[in-house]
Order: sequence, then C-alpha cells, then structure tokens
Amino acid sequence: MKPYLILCILLLGIGGMFTRVVATSANNPPQHAESLRQALFNAQVSLLNGDRSAAEDATRTAQQLYQQQLQPIAQSITPDLDSRVSVALGQAVLQAQTGETLALAANRGQITIDLLNISAEVVYAAIERGDLETALLWLPLRDFRVSTRFSRPSTQATRALEQLQTGRLDPAQALSLVRSDLMDTYQAQLTLSLQRADEAAERGFSLRQAEESGRAAAYFEILAPAYGDQYGTTALSARQADFTALVTAAIGGDQTAFSATYTQLQTTLIGFRAVPLSEEEAARRAGQLVRFLALVPIEYERGVRHGVVINDIEIQEAFTFQAGANAAFNDLQSRLIALDPVKTDQIRSLLAEIRLKIETTADPNHLRADVDQAQQLIAGLLPPEWLQGNAGSDLDVILSVLDQVEVAVVQGEYALAESARLEAYALLELGLEQRLRGFAPELAIQIESLFWQGTAERPGLAVLLANRAALSEVRQTLNQLKIAFDEAELILGGASAPEAVIGNASVIVFREGLEAVLILASLLASLRSAEEKRYRDRLILGAGLAFIATALTWVIAHRLLVFLLPLGERLEAIVSLIAIAVLLVIMNWFFHKVYWTGWLANFHTRKRQLLGGRVTITLSQTFGLVLLGFTSIYREGFETVLFLQSLVLEAGIMVVLQGVALGLLGTAAVGFITFKLQMRLPYKKMLIVTGVMICLVLLTMIGHTVHVMQVIGWLPITPIQGVFIPYWMGQWFGLFATWQGILLQIVALIVVIGSYFLAEYQTKQHRQPTRQSVAS
Amino acid sequence: MKRMLWIGLLMGLFVLPMGLFAQETTDVGAIKTYLMTNVTALQTHATRLEQAALDYYNLAETAGFDYAALWSNERVETSVALLTAKDAWLIASPLYEQVEGVVAGVPLLSQFDVELDAGVSGAEDPEGGVRFNLTLRDGRTLERPGNLFGVLESTLWGTREAYTTGVRADLNLNSSADFGETLPDAALLLAAAETFRATIDDLYQTAEGWTPTVEDAFTALVVMVPTMSEYFGSWRESRFVAGDDATQAEFVVISRLADIRDILGGLIVIYDSVSPLIEGVDPAQNSQIRQDLIDLQTYVNDLYTQEQEGRVFTPEEADLFGNEAQGRAQGIAGQIAQIAALLNIALPE
Repeated sequence: MKPYLILCILLLGIGGMFTRVVATSANNPPQHAESLRQALFNAQVSLLNGDRSAAEDATRTAQQLYQQQLQPIAQSITPDLDSRVSVALGQAVLQAQTGETLALAANRGQITIDLLNISAEVVYAAIERGDLETALLWLPLRDFRVSTRFSRPSTQATRALEQLQTGRLDPAQALSLVRSDLMDTYQAQLTLSLQRADEAAERGFSLRQAEESGRAAAYFEILAPAYGDQYGTTALSARQADFTALVTAAIGGDQTAFSATYTQLQTTLIGFRAVPLSEEEAARRAGQLVRFLALVPIEYERGVRHGVVINDIEIQEAFTFQAGANAAFNDLQSRLIALDPVKTDQIRSLLAEIRLKIETTADPNHLRADVDQAQQLIAGLLPPEWLQGNAGSDLDVILSVLDQVEVAVVQGEYALAESARLEAYALLELGLEQRLRGFAPELAIQIESLFWQGTAERPGLAVLLANRAALSEVRQTLNQLKIAFDEAELILGGASAPEAVIGNASVIVFREGLEAVLILASLLASLRSAEEKRYRDRLILGAGLAFIATALTWVIAHRLLVFLLPLGERLEAIVSLIAIAVLLVIMNWFFHKVYWTGWLANFHTRKRQLLGGRVTITLSQTFGLVLLGFTSIYREGFETVLFLQSLVLEAGIMVVLQGVALGLLGTAAVGFITFKLQMRLPYKKMLIVTGVMICLVLLTMIGHTVHVMQVIGWLPITPIQGVFIPYWMGQWFGLFATWQGILLQIVALIVVIGSYFLAEYQTKQHRQPTRQSVAS
Repeated sequence: MKRMLWIGLLMGLFVLPMGLFAQETTDVGAIKTYLMTNVTALQTHATRLEQAALDYYNLAETAGFDYAALWSNERVETSVALLTAKDAWLIASPLYEQVEGVVAGVPLLSQFDVELDAGVSGAEDPEGGVRFNLTLRDGRTLERPGNLFGVLESTLWGTREAYTTGVRADLNLNSSADFGETLPDAALLLAAAETFRATIDDLYQTAEGWTPTVEDAFTALVVMVPTMSEYFGSWRESRFVAGDDATQAEFVVISRLADIRDILGGLIVIYDSVSPLIEGVDPAQNSQIRQDLIDLQTYVNDLYTQEQEGRVFTPEEADLFGNEAQGRAQGIAGQIAQIAALLNIALPE
C-alpha cells in the first residue's frame, strides 16, 4: 500500500472520531415504557367507566409490552426488579378482572416508577461496561424534577453521557454524575408523591391517594441502597415496612392508619439526602444561607415599628429571605448533621423561630437576637472553605433583591424600590464588583451605570425610580441588568471562545505538521539515486509509526488528565503552565535558525551514517531508517499533544479536535502538494507566518493562565484603572485589564523578541570566525 | 484518476470540519410575530371592554349608583354596555391563552402573565400574587385583588359577591334569569377594565422591544409545558366540574380545558420555531417531542369535546385526567431541557 494512502487512512480515522454515536431507533425503551404506562392508565379509566373487560385487555397489553420489549434486558441486569414488575403486572390483570380500582391505582403507580428504577440500573451497568449506546438509549426513560417558573429539569446526566462520549469524563466520573442526577430527582419526586398522596387524602380523592402512595413506595425503593448505607439495614427495613403500610392504608381506605404512617415517614425521612451535595454546591448553599439570613432582620426592622407592621413589602422581603435561608439550610442539613447534630438542630429551631417571629410581628430586637445566635452557630459549624467568596451565591442574593425592586414599582412604592436598589448595589460592592473590575471592567461599568445614571441605550435604575418611570421602563433596565449579571457569571467562570480555541489548536497542529513535512521532504529528497529511493519506504514507515505513537501519546496524556481532573481549576493552571513552557520551546526553536539548520543537518548526518553509500541494506540499517523517520515526526507530535491538553481542559475535547482536524487538513494539503505534486511552496515564509501566529497563541495562553491563576487565588488581582478591554478580547486573546496579566504578557513578548535577537547575535558570531578563516 | 481521487479526499477533509460548524437555522422571529398579532387583537378588545365599562359607569353615575333604578330606567343601554363588555372579555380570553405560553415563559414578559391571567391575590400569596392595586373612582382601593381576567370575569358574571350589586338583570332579554345576569359594581368594573387595557398596552410595548432568542423559546417550552396540573386544578375547582358546589369565582364562562388546548397550540408554534435546531441534534427526538405535544393537545381536546357534548366529569376524574396530562407534560419538558443542554442553550431560572 502506498504510504500516502496510509497517511490518508490515518487522517480519516481521526475524522471518524467526530462521528456521533447514533442510537438505533428500532429499540426505544422510553417509548415502550410510555406505551405501557398509557395502557395501564387506559385500564384505570376503563375500570372507572365500569368496563372490566376493556380494563383487563389494557393490562394484558401492558404485560405483553413489558415481556416483549423491556423484560429481556431487565432480566439480565436486575432480576429482582424484573421479578417485582412481572408480579405486579400479573396482579394488575387480576385487579382489572375483579375491579379492584384502588389496588390497580397503587399498582400502576408502583409499576411506572419501577420501570424508571430498571432504566437507572441498565444505564449504570451500561456505563460501567463502557456500552455508551445502551446508556444513551435508556437514559431518556427517567423522571424529571417538576419544572416550575423558578427551576428547570436537571441535565446533569445527559451532559455526563455527552462528556463521556467526547472523552471529557471517564466512566467512573460519568457514572457518579448520572447516579447523582437520578437520585436527586427521585428523592424530590418521593417528597412530592408523599405530599400529593396526603393532599389527595384530604380531598377524598382515593384513586390519586393510592396511586401516589404506590409511586412513593417505588421511589423509595430506588433510594433504598443509599438510605441503607446511611442509616443501616434495620432502619431501612423499618422504612420499607412504613411504605408498605402506607400503600395498604391507601388501598384499604384507612385514613387514620394512612395519616399516622405519613407522619411517621415525614419525621424519619428528615435529613436524608440520597446524594450528598458536592463541595461546590455546598459552598454555594452556605453562601446563600449566610447572606439571606443576614438580610432578614434588616428587612424586618424596616417593616415594623412598635409592634405594628408599617410596611408590608419589607415584611414580605423578610419572609422571602427567611425562606431562602431555610431552603439553603435544608439542602445542607444532612452534611451539617454529620458535623454536629446538636448545633444543626439548634439552627433548625432558630430558623423556625425566626419565621414565627415574623408571622407574629415580634419585637425586632428579639428577632435580631435569634438571627445573631443562628449566625454564630453557623459560623462555628460551616467549614471555612464554604464561607469563602462565591460569585454564584453573591449573584443569587443580588438578583433576589433586584426582584424586590420590581415588586415595589408594581405597587407604586418607589421609595421602597429605591431602598431595594441601594441594597442590591451594596451587595454588589461587597465583593463581586472588585472581581468583575479585574476581569471585565467594561461590564462592571455597565452594571454600575445600569444601577445609577444609565448607559447610552438604557436609563439607569436610580434615574428611573427618581422619575417614577413606568413599570415597562423599569423592567427593561432590570432585564438588562440580569443579562449583564448572566454575562458576569460567565466571565468569572473564565471560559475561552470555542472559535479561539479551535484557531489556536489548528495553528499549533499546522505549524508542527509543517515542520514534520519539511523534515520528511528534506530527507526524502536527499535520497535521489535509484538505489537510495528504495530506502524512502523505511523513512515513511517510521513517520507513519510516529503518527500512531502521537495518537497513543494523546490517549495516555488524556487519561492522565482525566485522572487528575479532581484538581479542578488548579489542574488547568498547572497544565497551562506546561503548555506555555512548550510554546516557549517552540518559539525558541523557531528563532534559532542555527538549531533548525543543525536539527536538519543532524538528521542528514544520521541518514548518511546509516547508509554509508552502500547499496544493500541490513536489518539494523532498516531499523535505523525507520527510527530516523519516527523521531523526525514524533518530536513534533509529542510537543503538540502536550500543548493541546491545556486547550482540552479549557474547552473540551470536541472543540480541540475540530482545531486538530483543521490543522491536519492544512498539513495534509501541504504534504499533498509537496510529496504528490512535487511542487515547492514558500516554506520559509510559511514558517515565519506560523511562527508569528504561535507568538500570538503564546500571549493568549499566558493571559488565560494568569486569569485562571487569579480565579483560584494563586495570583492577586490588581485592576488597571482607566483601561477598558472588551470582554471578547479576553475570550479571544486572553487580554484582561489586570496588571498581572498584561505585565506577564509583555514579559513573554520581551522573552520572545529577546530570543530572536539572541539567535541573530549567535548566528553572526557563528559566521564571523567562518569568514575570518575563509579570508585568512 | 489517481489525482482526482486525491483531490476528492482533500475536499472531503475540508467538508468534514465545515459540517461540524454548520448550524441549523431557526425562525424564532415567528414567535414574536405570533405574539404581536394576538396582543394587537387583544388591545382592540381591551379598549372595547374599557369603553363599555366607561359607558356602564356613566349610566350608573347618572342613576346616582342606584342600580335597581338604573336597570329599571336604562335597561337597553345597560344591557348593551354589559353585553359588549362580556363579548370583549370572551374574545380577549382565548386570544390571550393562545399566547400565554410565550408571555409566561419568557422571563422579560412573565410578570404580565401573573397580572393578567395567572396571579392570585396578595392575600392568598403574599410573595407570588399579583402586585397591582385597583384604585376605584369612589376612593376605594382593592389591594392586590388577583389577576385581571379573573377580576373582570367575576365582576361581569357576578361570581364574587363583593364585586356585584346584587341586582339581577335579564341582560339578554330572554325573560329568564340566566347564569351571570347580575349588575356589576360599576366603579370596580371600570377600574379593572382600565388597568386591564393599560396592562395590555404595557405588554405590547414591552413585547415590541423584545428580541426573541432561542433561549427564550426553550425557556418558554420548559416552563410552560409542565403547567398542566395548575390548569387542570382550576378546571377541577370550576363550575364546569364542581357545578353549583364550585367555590371558584373564575373560569366560569370558558372551560379551562379550552384554555389548556389554546395554550398548547401556542406552545406548538414555539416548538416549531426551534424544531429545526433540535432536528440537527436528534431527528428522532425532534419528531417524538412534537408528536408528544400534539398527542397531549389531542388528549385535552378529546376531554373538552366530551365536556361540550354534555359529559360532566367528577372532581376525582378531573384529578385523574389532570395528573395524567401533567405526567406527560413533565416528560416532554424534561426531554426539551435535555436537548437544550446538548445545544448549550442556557435556561435562566
């Protein structure tokens, strides 16, 4: 096979990495499960209409659907669950025959959720054995947290599978994220089903009560392993018995037993959290708890005078912040219990007491005393790292206060709106603004303008409120502020523009590829005689092997990276520093034409030593030539792989691979023109242009690395006063208006230019003795 | 031949990455066109309603707010004013429901939905209830009374005692006392109608300055599709299901099922605007989600048809059917959220 063809196959092989894993639609578990669920619903409706025969037919349809479409895989992955569902479906047929409406309702609820349980087990098993296609196929058979105007369904599991597919996560990490998303969802659904069952009982809707009880029991089965791990097998058995009792009471219409069991479950499930919060989430909730709690007495004191409510809105705000603090506390509760159950209990009681004091219009000093006490307990209980500045929780609180501006304007209470505006601004000034001024001063100015006098496009809040502007006007400015805060959150996250990453990756790959092509072309061209041409294949084989070795190096480097991912942004900073070192070496290599010439000469010397003018070739010479081809290419490949890992951390493997594809495309084009068409390109100019481009990549990389190091606190942030750099320049060129970033970029530029002049000087020094010797 | 093969391979390599950058085109502008068309029509009927309320108020004022005398002396003029007001409400309500998915689902516009159609009174929900007060011409103030469609409906059809005068009036002159034939409190009706018209105008202006984005469209879908239980809940409590036992003052004229059907129609319009984008990620999922939305609308429409044909659902049946709709809607919204994640579309909370 021609060597060029091998190269193309290798390139196409890499291209093939971009193709999606396309799931077959012939087997569609979510659709089959939905059909099964609807068949059971139809059975329920038929029973309601008194048509037992139709109900029986519908349950048999459900049974067949399960047996034909879902059972084969359920049986192999989770035989216990399969057996549970099979039995339940058999019971459903009997219940339809005998017209047991409530029993069918409970059974229907249980079967529906058991199918989700099966799906979860299939997905976990598929991820563990690396069967991504099955995981993708089954994951959509799941439930979602109830989506409201204020919350969205979680996408963590979907994203985890996508990242597993693109190599950004390893199977263990993806499994952990998928499990955490599903467990969190099902815990929320368990709570909801229990509440709904209780509400249905109060309304006298026995059908719904039975169905939700069945669902709750089945949701608990999904969470049972986590419950058992945290509370022990005895407690687990007790809870399972409670759920069985709940379902029995609902079917039997025994409201006393139902109510007692419901209360028992509510009490015993307090503090249980199937998926503990991640450190990042815990820190965010901790920030919310502290900030929201601090705002409660401030609002309350403004709303009450001498035991009388003088301002409803302030009291509402106090309620809102208390509820926010309480929600954050509930999320942290299981973690806090582990730290100190007594203090956690005290905080819980104090939060309830604070709410009661607001409800009963208690003395503000008494409420303040409770808040102070709660704050002291919280400060002593929360780990210090949770209490460090967190942009996310800062933003949550600011946005929450801004909502109060809108509320006040709707009610025509402009003075209160102004008070809320000042409060939000004060929160901004407390910490977020300093960081924003460092990374995106333009945005910081825009936000400040929107709070006060406004921008060219929009009047500011202060102006609007002072002029008692129309609600629509205020809303538009508030909306602008919210958009600006969204952008601020993004900036503080510090991502590069994907296009910039693609460009940087392609420049590096093209540049290194160009060097490889030139070295290979030079070596091949030197094998001119008919005899020597026979050795070309060995060199090309070596180059091909280097290509494969580069791909393997990529895999190893990437696995290492994945292994080190828990280091988070610190890993990004470390790898970025390595990438900068690689770039500096490349730049040095570029300017020192002495090295370049010497490097090429070295290859030629090795080639001559290997051949020694001989026509016949020995095994060791073959090996030597293959090694020569290999080393000439692998050096470039190794550098490229090291550099690209930093970009992978920044933007993900798929984005980087797009850049790699573009770079390889350029390299392939140059290779084709050089080797196949035997045409000569302006190589020197190309090397200079790509060298300058790499210099730009280096400066961008330094800017981003400094930014990451500032985010993680490895470098201080000193804003350059009066200098505004648009955010897009940060995304594209790593330019942020901080002294640290700009100075280090200047230093790098000086190093590169200095390196150039040093190289020139060395060349002159090298030439002078030569000239002198020629002259003499 | 060999050279051609090489050129083909190179071109293929060029085409491959280009394909990665290719983006499906979407027409989210169609959502705004749809919204503006409906809101413009709403403005017309809000103005009609306001004018009719003013006519009625002037008649009442002339009668010294003696409603019995008013009905006795100005029967025809009073009937014309109130029937016009009711007619305007009956046209405005479905017009709004058709765009409620957009209004309620887009963060910039969502507060309008609270004020117009979704918000309860401040007393019922101090945090999330409506935020406006109604100041009447006689000096009375109704603090945060609940959404405007609801206030107008209960005033015009007399389902809230405090909003009526207690004077029965055979408005359609058919010699029988039909449902909703009482004279409303003129000052309250006028204040509500004026606020309603002003809010619709405000909505129009805000919507005019709104540039719909793909994020808006996805947010509207994820937020609004899974609200079935709220609507079925109000249907269950309404007189369409509860009959004379109904305690709910709203949703007495148009069945909530019709509202749900209209809302879903609007959401299908939104879905169609982003469908090409979803097609680019997962064609099978795209057609599945669209089909699920249509199935859900058909499901609701079937129930509405049965109701129109005379079936009276029991509250427990309404609960069962509502729960089924909510389950389906939640699944659809969840899948749309997953697609949004794969498209890196942020859904603001």
